[in-house]
Amino acid sequence: MRKIRIVLADDHTLIRGGLRLTIEQHADLAVVGEAEDGRQAVALAASLKPDVAVLDIGMPNLNGIEAAKQITQGAPGPAVIVLSMHRDETYILRALKAGVRGYLLKDSAESDLVRAIRAVAEGKSFFSPAVSKVLLEDYMRKLQRTGAEDSYDLLTPREREILQMVAEGKSNKEVASILNLSVYTVETHRSNIMEKLKLKGLPELILYAVRKGIIA
Amino acid sequence: MRLSKQSCFIQRMQPVDRNTKPRLDSVRDVRQRQRPGLRRLRVVLAIGYGGLLVLLLVSGANALRTLRSLHDAEEQARSRSLERRRVLTTVVLSASVYTNNVERILLSEKPPDDSATLAEVLQRAREALSAVKAYPTDRTPEEQDLLDHLQAYLLDQGDILRSAKAWNPQEFRGRAQQVVSDEIIPRRQQFVTIAQQIELLNDNESIAAQQATFSEFGRLQDRLTRLLVIALTSGLLLAVGSAIYILRLERQERLRYAELAQNRSELQELSSKLLDAQETERRSLSRELHDEVGQALGLLLMDVGRLSTQLGSDAKLQEMVQRIKTVAERTVQTVRNMALLLRPSMLDDLGLVSAVEWYAREVSRRGEVEVEVKADYVSETLPDPLMVCIYRVVQEAVNNAQRHARAKNVTVELRGTPTAVQVQIKDDGSGFDTQRIRGMGLLGMEERVKRLGGTIAIDSRPGAGTTIRAELPLTEAETGHVA
Repeated sequence: MRKIRIVLADDHTLIRGGLRLTIEQHADLAVVGEAEDGRQAVALAASLKPDVAVLDIGMPNLNGIEAAKQITQGAPGPAVIVLSMHRDETYILRALKAGVRGYLLKDSAESDLVRAIRAVAEGKSFFSPAVSKVLLEDYMRKLQRTGAEDSYDLLTPREREILQMVAEGKSNKEVASILNLSVYTVETHRSNIMEKLKLKGLPELILYAVRKGIIA
Repeated sequence: MRLSKQSCFIQRMQPVDRNTKPRLDSVRDVRQRQRPGLRRLRVVLAIGYGGLLVLLLVSGANALRTLRSLHDAEEQARSRSLERRRVLTTVVLSASVYTNNVERILLSEKPPDDSATLAEVLQRAREALSAVKAYPTDRTPEEQDLLDHLQAYLLDQGDILRSAKAWNPQEFRGRAQQVVSDEIIPRRQQFVTIAQQIELLNDNESIAAQQATFSEFGRLQDRLTRLLVIALTSGLLLAVGSAIYILRLERQERLRYAELAQNRSELQELSSKLLDAQETERRSLSRELHDEVGQALGLLLMDVGRLSTQLGSDAKLQEMVQRIKTVAERTVQTVRNMALLLRPSMLDDLGLVSAVEWYAREVSRRGEVEVEVKADYVSETLPDPLMVCIYRVVQEAVNNAQRHARAKNVTVELRGTPTAVQVQIKDDGSGFDTQRIRGMGLLGMEERVKRLGGTIAIDSRPGAGTTIRAELPLTEAETGHVA
């Protein structure tokens, strides 16, 4: 079986070493490169063409989010996971907009990192469970304050199904084949979902899904 | 004065940050030392002005009195002269009538037989005599002398007439002519001379009186001139003294003002430096916490995690590891919160708006107050001091709203214009009286905004909530950057 090739980027050597140790306990994972700042990470991603890049969000010379943006630009680039200590939606949304597939809180990096790497390598998304919890709480509080209804109730079962698959990173074509629908129908469903939930773009959709605990 | 100036100078030489209290004390000392000198000067000036006024009043009254007495003396001299002239005229007239009568009698052919005629002539003589006697009694010796002559003349005439009466007509005819030409006519001439002499005397006296008046007037003029010179001189001196006094006051005022302004600017500088130092310190502390403590704890957590997977299923050991992990996680969270409080690294990562939104959510999460953020046209690339300033203002305002005003809702509005960034923080809390309450928090806010050249307005009334508006200008380079 082909190993999942990984590039690690963190400005703290100790942490990088710790992450590497954690990863290399698993036979199906291999760290092929280490970078100590964002710029180096971008260069390594371009030259080594790994499957997954694990970036610390706060690095000198190009932070993790900017680096992620550059790494994911040339599709199909490596899937990017960022390590962050922020469980706030601003950071998550920004990371999502930069094309990040996995968002890991640093405190739970050890236990979740391997799962996250495997998930994004399969094309799925991964978010620390604690993140989902905070996002959901924020969302509920906002609903309570504005008195708005949870628009999730407005979705049909089919739409919920499609929402989950899209949020997990599946393309319209994949969704269509799984559900045995035409791509056109899936597209229509998808734009209905966006409209009902008042979402703009895929990152917000993923954030919504994370918030609702639809994906994790 | 010189002393105080010197001490001011010395005070200014002292470094700013070394104890300011003794400095204030010494300023007070200087002021107290200046006071007695000023009071003396004030007394001197008051006496000077009072003296000048009294001098002018007294000399004015004196001059008036002198003028009046001069006038009286002149009047007196004039009336005296007139009186004498009048009496003299009467004397001359009645004497000449008398003499004419005597002459007429003597030149008649026969001696006067008619006693009535004689009596009438003698009556004239008495009139003339009484006129002489009526001459004012305050006579000079010369006058008296001349008047005596006049009297003697009149009496002589009488004698001549009486002796002529005794003559027989023959005798009369022979001697009368003789007497008239030898005695009457020369004596009349003499009489006229005497009268003229008296008149002359009178005139002289009148002239003398006039001259006396003139010289008295001249003296008065001299005195007044002297007085005027004195008054002018002392007035000038007083004016100079007053000018000096005023200049000195002015200089003192200027000194004091300059001192005040300097104190203020020094204070401002100091607080600005303090803010800078605080911000720098916080940043380095935050970095230290995050980089060193945070990373070490992170590593610890990872190792603990690895340890846990390698320990196998020994429940006791697993529990111990789990406990270590829990404590480490809590510590990580605490350190992170501390670091963020010290330096909102979101400003570096996300820019102003997202950082403020982040903060709003953080606060809202605690459940006491809901903070809503609205943002329009705010650039993502603002200079760091400006972002920190606005962030701290928002932080302070929200903190106040929550802690002191017990607000339930806070709205933060951020708005970018081509030349500035505006922020408004509005709460529905209890509000306060802006005239009376000026807490350190509000002062700190003002200080932060002002030192970046911005303006801040705090609008609040008890029971009506609080609205804080601040506007921070972008410098030219920054506006260019934004554009």
